[in-house]
Amino acid sequence: MPKLLGRIGRSESVNGWALVSPAVVLIGIFGLLPVLMSLQLSFQKSDLLTPATPWVGFENYRKLADDPVFVESIKHTIVYTALFVPGTMLVGLFVAAAMNRSLRFISVYRTAAYVTMAVSTISQGIIFLWLTDRDYGLVNAALNAVGVPSQPFLASPSQALFVIVAMTIWGWTGFSVIVYLAALQGVPAELHEAAAIDGASAFTRFRTITVPLLGPANLFLLVWLTLNALQLFDEVYATTRGGPLRATTVIVYYLWDRAFVHFDAGYAAAMAYALFVVILVITAVQFRVARRYVHYS
Amino acid sequence: MIRSTSRQRLCIALAAVLSLVLAACGGGGNSSSSGPTKITVWHGYQDTEGTAFKALLAQYNKEHPDVQVSDLYSSNDLVLQKVLTAVRGDSAPDVAYMFGSWSPNIAQIPKLVDMSSYVSQPDWKWDDFYPAERAAATVGNKTVGVPALVDNLAIVYNKKLFADAGIEPPNANWTWDDFRSAAAKLTDPSKGQYGWLIPADGSEDTVWHYLPMLWDAGGDLLSPDDKHSTFNSEAGVKALTTLQQMAVTDKSVYMDTTNENGPKLMNSGKIGMLITGPWDLSSLTDISYGVQVMPSYAGAAGGHQTISGPDNWVVFDNGDKRKQAAVDFVKWLTAPEQVKSFSLATGDLPTRTSVGEDQAFVGQLDQKLPGVGVFVGNLSNVKKARPTVQQYPAVSEALGQAIVSVMLGKDQPADALNSAAKTADAALAGS
Repeated sequence: MPKLLGRIGRSESVNGWALVSPAVVLIGIFGLLPVLMSLQLSFQKSDLLTPATPWVGFENYRKLADDPVFVESIKHTIVYTALFVPGTMLVGLFVAAAMNRSLRFISVYRTAAYVTMAVSTISQGIIFLWLTDRDYGLVNAALNAVGVPSQPFLASPSQALFVIVAMTIWGWTGFSVIVYLAALQGVPAELHEAAAIDGASAFTRFRTITVPLLGPANLFLLVWLTLNALQLFDEVYATTRGGPLRATTVIVYYLWDRAFVHFDAGYAAAMAYALFVVILVITAVQFRVARRYVHYS
Repeated sequence: MIRSTSRQRLCIALAAVLSLVLAACGGGGNSSSSGPTKITVWHGYQDTEGTAFKALLAQYNKEHPDVQVSDLYSSNDLVLQKVLTAVRGDSAPDVAYMFGSWSPNIAQIPKLVDMSSYVSQPDWKWDDFYPAERAAATVGNKTVGVPALVDNLAIVYNKKLFADAGIEPPNANWTWDDFRSAAAKLTDPSKGQYGWLIPADGSEDTVWHYLPMLWDAGGDLLSPDDKHSTFNSEAGVKALTTLQQMAVTDKSVYMDTTNENGPKLMNSGKIGMLITGPWDLSSLTDISYGVQVMPSYAGAAGGHQTISGPDNWVVFDNGDKRKQAAVDFVKWLTAPEQVKSFSLATGDLPTRTSVGEDQAFVGQLDQKLPGVGVFVGNLSNVKKARPTVQQYPAVSEALGQAIVSVMLGKDQPADALNSAAKTADAALAGS
């Protein structure tokens, strides 16, 4: 018997490897290999053009600390993330709670809430460019109608980043609605019934029953949205190209600009790795803190 | 931020690049001694241009049975990234269309064919190309490519808006003061109407609108040895002050931070004047427009100027046989007859002086696309070219930020230019 089991075990593992190997190979070539090669690149001076890529040690990483634009881009990224993540979660929770009931045409509303996720980020950028245009945008037309003067929005260094926050919250709300809606449907109805019999108001029930049970959904959204916020690129590329006056230059945009506009790929790779470490640390902290607050049952 | 949709796009792009690489490898393996020599051209021509280009290719393939040229569309903006990838993977195209502003950088690619020994042969008629084109194709003692496209900037104006405002349309002797006062009169905030529109994202698109003004005022971007910046001169301040007066004092300029709105707003009658190139003319279908050369500064040293952004056909070395076939093809493609037929079919400006000075031809072209004749004549006003130094992107970026900060009213011309010059000098010294 043990012999037979061993053979089955071995053939099972061979089968297993055979089944996963296409995925492993693809992820290896297109995921892991570039990640490792860019680590190597971050220690070199490379313009992607010339074959000579001299080894410069930690020079690229040292340069990061002295680069005022990089420091500025970190600030913009932090401001963006700090507004975008809670904003998307709150709006998503509100919409999901509003839709977590049996209404006529509920599936229409749910589809409508999710549909922004189907809009490509580039189209979304172009739509918002026109909506928020200083002279011809609908948003300013609406503001003017209630007596508020026109705002420059994306054309203003002091407003552009906030417009991008609003725009991306709009784009991501559907995602957080879906996650929250699923979590809300998992909240047992009998708990609510029992509490209602004991005389708890709807708000109290939401606060003391629903919210604690949303812990896993909160954690997932927090981690996932933070990951994405720190890597903001498409929306900036499509709207402001990091401007005006670098007001919306976030880390990944600056990295792209260094590598493909200024041909400083080694430096850009160092920036990418600095960001990678930051993301790793933030995610680890999020999971650690979450252990105390998130209950899975 | 990369959401699933864009990630999918990325995967598709990767797959496309991969298949490109594979296709190119397949082509490479096929260069056996028998059969035609196969070469590939990467270009960004679509629509009318694409049809005209394919017709030229078909003609060439028919007339040269020993060579087979195939083409591959690749967006011009992205072609450099793709070529770099392909060069790394040892599957470079034989010929690629490249922006002239990349010349100093692509000159570093080892597989690039230095065309200088070819184009110096008399039958290439190298001197027949406009001087600015030749300058943009030359980096040090290398000739990195052969002119594929030339353009320049001129005023395109809305005739009706000028008539409504009761002002004379621009003439060839306009000064920047005339330009400024016309823009102010054309501006009507209540109608959302502006005298002028400038691309204001601080990119090279912003900078190249400023450069002819700088040259016009008698200034220059860099010192003759390209070692340090000189744009923070009196002339530089004068040119930037004009922009400041128009944007901050008169508020007669729509600052387009997207660089996309120009032709759309112009076509919907919201903008009195654009300073742009011939490529925008075909989208101005709803208005009656005129074209006039750019203004100059009264009595300034530089004289009338404009700027040109020539692009090149660049040849890569994939073995002697393919290299020779590619060089021969480029020679044919850029010969006067082909320049003429392509220009006529597309409305693109002719890249050769002999064609541009052919009045019958220019008349024909202007009939096809009204106003383009002025652009052809304007080619002789292109007196200077951007410096072909590798640090140009850094210089351009510093200057672009300075221009935008002044036009947004955040800085004064002299201060902004001085600090930009400092940044640019650091980049120039850092090589």
